[in-house]
Amino acid sequence: MRRRIFIATGTAAALAGCARITNALNENAAIHKSLGAAETLNHVLIGTHGRAKTYRDSEVDRDFRINGFDTPSDSRYRGLVRGSFASYKLIVDGAVERPRAMALRELRAMQSYSEATRHDCVEGWSAIGKWAGVPLAAVLKLARPTPKARFIVFHCFDRSPENDPYYESLDLAQAAHPQTVLALDLNGSALDPDHGAPVRLRVPTQLGYKSAKWVYRLQVAESLHPIFGGAGGYWEDNGYEWYAGI
Amino acid sequence: MDATVPMPAHAAAQSKAEPLVYRHSLTTRITHWLTVIAFVILVMSGLQIFNASPNLDASDKSNSHRRVLAIMGGNDAAGRPVGVTQLFGWTISTTHLLGYVDDGMGGESFRAFPAWLTWPGYQALADGRRWHLFFSWVLVLAGVAYFVAGLRRKDLQLLVLRLEDLPKLLPMQLYYLKLRKEPPPHGEYNPLQKAAYTMVLFVFTPLIVITGLALSPGIDAIANPLTVLLGGRQFARLWHFLLMLALIGFVLTHVTLVLSTGFINNMRSMLSGWYRLGKDQGAGI
Repeated sequence: MRRRIFIATGTAAALAGCARITNALNENAAIHKSLGAAETLNHVLIGTHGRAKTYRDSEVDRDFRINGFDTPSDSRYRGLVRGSFASYKLIVDGAVERPRAMALRELRAMQSYSEATRHDCVEGWSAIGKWAGVPLAAVLKLARPTPKARFIVFHCFDRSPENDPYYESLDLAQAAHPQTVLALDLNGSALDPDHGAPVRLRVPTQLGYKSAKWVYRLQVAESLHPIFGGAGGYWEDNGYEWYAGI
Repeated sequence: MDATVPMPAHAAAQSKAEPLVYRHSLTTRITHWLTVIAFVILVMSGLQIFNASPNLDASDKSNSHRRVLAIMGGNDAAGRPVGVTQLFGWTISTTHLLGYVDDGMGGESFRAFPAWLTWPGYQALADGRRWHLFFSWVLVLAGVAYFVAGLRRKDLQLLVLRLEDLPKLLPMQLYYLKLRKEPPPHGEYNPLQKAAYTMVLFVFTPLIVITGLALSPGIDAIANPLTVLLGGRQFARLWHFLLMLALIGFVLTHVTLVLSTGFINNMRSMLSGWYRLGKDQGAGI
């Protein structure tokens, strides 16, 4: 009996100690940095190749799951919604030869992509939506990135609960992928505010956090370091991998 | 010495009653312990990742109609926090075990697996992934090193289950259950050991790596037939989880046998390579 109590107490202490040990290891800066080697390996070995699977119209989620932060509620965004995005302009600037401010009408005129693809969330769930819009490559071609350009940074209307702006980034190879698109429609109708209206990035070859909602500016950049936290995205600044193919 | 257990040639050459034999090469020992570390971290960080979406669906996209497992938390009619687990539609109350559990900070909260089972203890998907993706490489590289060395030295083949081992599986199980006095005649590893090692080395471990890759969008784009073959992304996640359970089952059996067939001797052999032959030889791990 005494032995059993001893074992029970010991087990409880060991279990409580378990979280303390894993937390301490997790917070060690040198270990944290070393673990990043896996992302480099995965990025080099897996990269952005092939094509994400496409689905039949009958397979889409009519009620596509709403993800990410709350729909922006600031006066700028609310004003755009009230005006049906007539005054919305997608800014394309940075390391480009021809900076642009494109109206939704112009983007609509360039619409050439329509595919049902699966959205794979980093949390583990997935949903299928039919997305239509403009391949990112087509927009970049108009703006002509300079030879020094390496990344495309997507600035968004939404903010975290701590009021940090959402942003994301891709390198030129990922941006050139034929399924990397600026989506304007979901399941046959224009994006609604909850799904990222009027322009949402779709990157079906990477995890869902890359597919930034409520995009208003494409900044072509030579480096990610000077931008916000420097890791290339809101979630990346909060510890998630920049390469989100795995 | 048990007459029905043939002595390995190198051991028989020694005349001492309980001779030491060199059983595990340096590569085997190093990769074994690397795998131990990787396995513990992969399971715990995997449960951390699972907690971010504590459902398993037998489908491609998430589909609640094909839900196999769901771990939930909420308040009961009296407002008390409870944990509930649904398995194939069966609802089980799992308060304090799953769904409403130890949060690693002195209290309890709504999370699928408790803090002492996740890596890190507190809820942190990004950190769980960081550990998981790193130690999946440790597991893969340790596995490759083990296979390369084992094939070169030809000692890996001692572990492979062969056709002639199949009729000996039942007698060996009966011997373990003490329903049979003698184990069936066998080589360095008995038929049940061979069956377990063959499954773990050639089936479960490769498959857990493959299913993990198949649920990644970057791999799905390159090798979509693989994800389709597994039933889709959510199904790959389900397979990945089931394979974890299978491997945990192996580890529990393995550790039980290590403890029950001469713990010190077994540990010496996996640390220094040297194993003392004796009455438990061949019967254990």
